[in-house]
Amino acid sequence: MPNSEKATAPDPLIQLIVFRLGQEEYGIRIEQVKEVTLTPEIARMPKTPSFVKGIANLRGDIITVVDLEERFQLREAAEVAEEAAAHTYTMAIEAKDYTIGVVVREVPQPLSVPQSAIEQTPDFIQEANIHDKYIEGIARVGDRIIVVLDMLKLLTPSEIMQLTAPAAS
Amino acid sequence: MSNREQEYRELFMAEALEYYDAMSRHISELERNPADEEALRELFRLMHNLKSNARAMGYTSIGEAAHHMETVFGQLRDGQATFTGSMVPVLFGGIDTLGELIRAVGEEQALPDVQRLLDNLDRISRGEEPDLEGEEADDDEDVSRKLELSDLVYIQVRKLDHLMNLMGELIIDRDRILTLSREIDHPALTTAAAHFSRIAEELQYSVMDARLVGVGSLFSKFPRVVRDVASTEGKEVNLTLQGEDIQIDRNILQIITDALLHLVRNAIGHGLETAAEREAAGKPAQGQITLSAQAERDDVLVQVQDDGRGIDVASVRRKAVERGLVTRAAAAQLPDAAVRAFLFEPGFSMAKEVTEISGRGVGLDVVKLAIDSLGGQLRVDSVLGEGTTFTLVLPTSIAVKGALLFELDERSYALPLMHTDSVVSLLPDRFSVVGGVLLTRLQGENVPVVSLRELLQLEGDQVLAPARKATLHGRQDIIIVNYNNRRLGLIVDRFLRQQDIVVKAMSKPLDTIDLFGGVTLLGSGQVCLVLDVPALTRLFLAKRP
Repeated sequence: MPNSEKATAPDPLIQLIVFRLGQEEYGIRIEQVKEVTLTPEIARMPKTPSFVKGIANLRGDIITVVDLEERFQLREAAEVAEEAAAHTYTMAIEAKDYTIGVVVREVPQPLSVPQSAIEQTPDFIQEANIHDKYIEGIARVGDRIIVVLDMLKLLTPSEIMQLTAPAAS
Repeated sequence: MSNREQEYRELFMAEALEYYDAMSRHISELERNPADEEALRELFRLMHNLKSNARAMGYTSIGEAAHHMETVFGQLRDGQATFTGSMVPVLFGGIDTLGELIRAVGEEQALPDVQRLLDNLDRISRGEEPDLEGEEADDDEDVSRKLELSDLVYIQVRKLDHLMNLMGELIIDRDRILTLSREIDHPALTTAAAHFSRIAEELQYSVMDARLVGVGSLFSKFPRVVRDVASTEGKEVNLTLQGEDIQIDRNILQIITDALLHLVRNAIGHGLETAAEREAAGKPAQGQITLSAQAERDDVLVQVQDDGRGIDVASVRRKAVERGLVTRAAAAQLPDAAVRAFLFEPGFSMAKEVTEISGRGVGLDVVKLAIDSLGGQLRVDSVLGEGTTFTLVLPTSIAVKGALLFELDERSYALPLMHTDSVVSLLPDRFSVVGGVLLTRLQGENVPVVSLRELLQLEGDQVLAPARKATLHGRQDIIIVNYNNRRLGLIVDRFLRQQDIVVKAMSKPLDTIDLFGGVTLLGSGQVCLVLDVPALTRLFLAKRP
């Protein structure tokens, strides 16, 4: 039908920043990423879950830095050992009213994908450790499969602090 | 002339000149449209305000002139007369005269005679013709003198806050640059960095100074409050204000406003007895409340003092046991000061009846929270039957705090000096273990001591493991902190130094962790956590073995 042809014709490109967590590739929409930098010195915060690496000074702003591999237990045992040696990068991501740092081990790369390449999440993905409510979709680019995350949902204060023991009162 | 008089005069001048400008504007509008009600209302209001201000300052002639002008504008406003004919030059002249009078105050000259103007205004208000002879003569002179700018500017606190934040960033960068210049050790750089540092420091104090206001600007609202509360409570109260010219950051004053209001209402409602009770106790029927401020080193002490019935320590002790805040045995041993500190526990109120004024379920805990948020201290002293004194120890400035820097697990931490009692370095034989808690004796008092590392590493519902002396090796560096009359020793790895720090609020989403009052950046660029002593003390009390 001519109508359906018309609807599929404009296929906007979506700019993603792609990074690795464990063995998989993940992507975030580029507008959610403020900058990528070598991970600055991080001060560990007591009383936070272990995937919250701590706080760091990013050009005078104090930001919280999290490790999503640890959050979703995506790191292979062999990699855990070499973790200390490798230097890492931090993506500064703009959440609703604050900036947060996400540590990755390889330089994140930009990638443009057509909107149509992003598919809704199939149910089987729930087997993965990342709960599907953070997943915006799955992008297929050639033989690559990129999980597109909705960072704003992932980085709400309640999500970040969910493993924290209630503070003593 | 004292500083305070000088300041009041400057404030009067600023306001009066502003009134004068507004009057000139409105009377011109009135000339275009004699029935402009808005302009008439404004003129009446401006005259009224100027009159009150001038009379309060003792400038009788300004007060009289404004009073007579007000009368005429009142008649115009109420439609008893219209703005036409011979009254127009008289009223224009009257505003010019007010301007001259105000300028004369500003230049500390004798105020010109205004009798002629007053007589003319009286004639107008009686509906008679004014005497206009010679009125036009000095007009030329007026034209050249009319344009006058005030020496004061009004500025929104928001803008000052922004300046202060920028200042904080600058101070952090200054420390960074000083550290770098020491590392690089180049003579030209060292000189430039030293100069930069001096300027930054001066700028910092100027910005802090620009934010200071007299405590009197808050105190002056209390006579009215006291009058209203006293009449509702049916009590006779005399309020004395002291130290109104003590200077403090405007935002600090803002934050303590409710706390002070609460303390004063409490003092009248619960502190002071009724006239009959007072006389029966051999006191004058009229109760005394004193609101005072004094500077003490870098702090400002604000006190609310009453000569009422005082705090019944035995009754507080009993109530603390009832509420399960302390065991009966422990309560019996607590010193009076520690017992009075229970008054600041959430929901702990001594009021037996809820009154309209001070019993709205808000207790001293709210006052305590406000003071804590400023990094201040709240103390209470009381003698049964003689009265109660609440003391607020407040920092002069919000942004810069004195802090003690120390090291724990190779990281730097800061503790605000406001809550630091002392630092001691003790050998293991100075400790004893009682009920699983380390104790040491300092100045005749047993102070509990805890390893800060263990306290910070507790997870979830874990409680502290019972302390054992065997785990202590060598000298222990201990910071004694003080919160709400409770002293607590924190074992740290190493003292570093004392330093003024700029505390940045903890950013989201970690701002829910109350153990840290914020962060600061050290000269090295390192992030340094600032511990919150109230939260740390509460954590220790909740987790002790």
